Amino acid sequence: MSELINLSLTDQILGLTDKSFSSKEITGAYLNEIKKKKSLNCFISVFEEESEEKALIADENIAKNKARPLEGIPIAHKDIFCIKDKKTTCGSRMLSNFISPYSSEVFSKLDAAGAVTLGKTNMDEFAMGSSNETSFYGNVLNPINEKLSPGGSSGGSAAAVRANLCSFATATDTGGSIRQPASFCGVTGIKPTYGRVSRWGMIAFASSLDQAGIIAKNAKDAAIALKYMSGFDQKDSTSLNEEVKDLQQEVDADQEHIIGIPKELIENIKNDQVRDSFKNAISILEKDGAKIEEINLPHIEYSLPAYYVIAPAECSANLARYDGIRFGHRSESVSSLEDLYVNSRTEGFGREVKNRIFIGTFCLSAGYYDAFYNKALKIRNLIKSDFDEAFKKVSSIAMPTCSNSSFELGSISDPVEMYEQDIYTIPANLAGLPALSIPSGTADEMPIGLQLIGNYLEEGRILNLANKFQKLTNFHEFK
Amino acid sequence: MKITEQDLKNISLLSKIKIDKETSDSLVEDLESILTMVNKMDEVDTSKINPLTHPIENTQTLREDIEKKDIEREKLQELSKEKDSGFYLTPKVIE
Repeated sequence: MSELINLSLTDQILGLTDKSFSSKEITGAYLNEIKKKKSLNCFISVFEEESEEKALIADENIAKNKARPLEGIPIAHKDIFCIKDKKTTCGSRMLSNFISPYSSEVFSKLDAAGAVTLGKTNMDEFAMGSSNETSFYGNVLNPINEKLSPGGSSGGSAAAVRANLCSFATATDTGGSIRQPASFCGVTGIKPTYGRVSRWGMIAFASSLDQAGIIAKNAKDAAIALKYMSGFDQKDSTSLNEEVKDLQQEVDADQEHIIGIPKELIENIKNDQVRDSFKNAISILEKDGAKIEEINLPHIEYSLPAYYVIAPAECSANLARYDGIRFGHRSESVSSLEDLYVNSRTEGFGREVKNRIFIGTFCLSAGYYDAFYNKALKIRNLIKSDFDEAFKKVSSIAMPTCSNSSFELGSISDPVEMYEQDIYTIPANLAGLPALSIPSGTADEMPIGLQLIGNYLEEGRILNLANKFQKLTNFHEFK
Repeated sequence: MKITEQDLKNISLLSKIKIDKETSDSLVEDLESILTMVNKMDEVDTSKINPLTHPIENTQTLREDIEKKDIEREKLQELSKEKDSGFYLTPKVIE
């Protein structure tokens, strides 16, 4: 049955529909593989019995010709999405005992579309990290080379897709947490437009930047999965009340593309292999008929500093809810109410989460608010305006996903060096734009990604371009 | 940018997280290096720019005020270690 797990989502849907194989078989095959590759540490929880039961229901639905769009497809959810009556840890000791009383909209939508949930994937604590090393549950290993990081924060989801432990996985991206691990693991990851996918039941890190998306084997699979995850949700006040386009149709449509290249940024790439691979990818698309235009994004170099004020500021406010009283870790050594707050938080959060809370608290405190937080918001406006200007003449923007391929676990201890992992991915979050990463070559024998950024609600257009690239190349193929 | 001992005390007090003596030196080092990176923002003249708090404007939507019982109170309170008769319990605040 191992060949079933290698199939693309598209082929799995076909095979299930024409009854070449059953959901029971494919679910069983994934569960076996998860057991076999337990040492990768991709999963925080696995729902073995439940997924087998769901697979049987799916097979009945298929037999009765009542199959829903993702009927019987085994998937995994990042452990940031609440699932009713299931442990949802967000990779933290703080939530190690948290059994969610409700389900996230992302889970509910994919569940209603017929997907079988195999389990929940490992991640950096509260999605804060770029290597998966901040998880309370230990880091995930990169399936291509186990000494290396799978990236983060959605490292468990990216590694699970690459190791064939699920058909596709959900993930979240606040500053690059879908695209950077997708790049490191040689898979396809998309963060849609801010507000396209509901944040209801998705544990908050930085609310104006957080967005849920998909990690899949290829652009076509990602388009199908994203289609069934997107849509307006009354329960999320920032959800966009806009029609969900048929991404499945759009990914294969005949579209013309004008790709914007931020020339200065590309010339400043320090890693020769990353720069050469990027230029090669662009020339492949140009030969295929895409028009290439040089663009200017003059304020993009200020994305990283602005992000590391805005994200920690929002994080310090969001994580104030963990007080030890209503849910989450509650300290045992307590003699006053103040002790209860302080000891529960000190014991429950890990070092990186504390660092970000401290930075956010500092930047928002009296005397510093204008110099840091307000300044960062003004720079955010300039970055958004740069993109608005660029999209007047191009239909998408290309740049590398990351300035390097995966690095050795434990090799980066300087926080700023770790933050620089997200130097190319952060701008799309600040502007709220859709962006994806597809494998486009290698550096130091590990995959690197090409990032495509689209205009608002134009997920379909960048997926279409990504699909074109994947038809012309085989960087995304793996067994 | 320098982080003083008083800054550390303030941050700890406001965030309700203890900073112990053993880790405070490396923490100061981390925070100072992050704030130095952040200070690059000063290169940009933003005097005539408005702050942007949110990437997409006009997204706030209203819905009908209809009662929903999606989440049960008992179920929520099961998550707390200390509760009684529908209340959450904390250590005594008033003597």
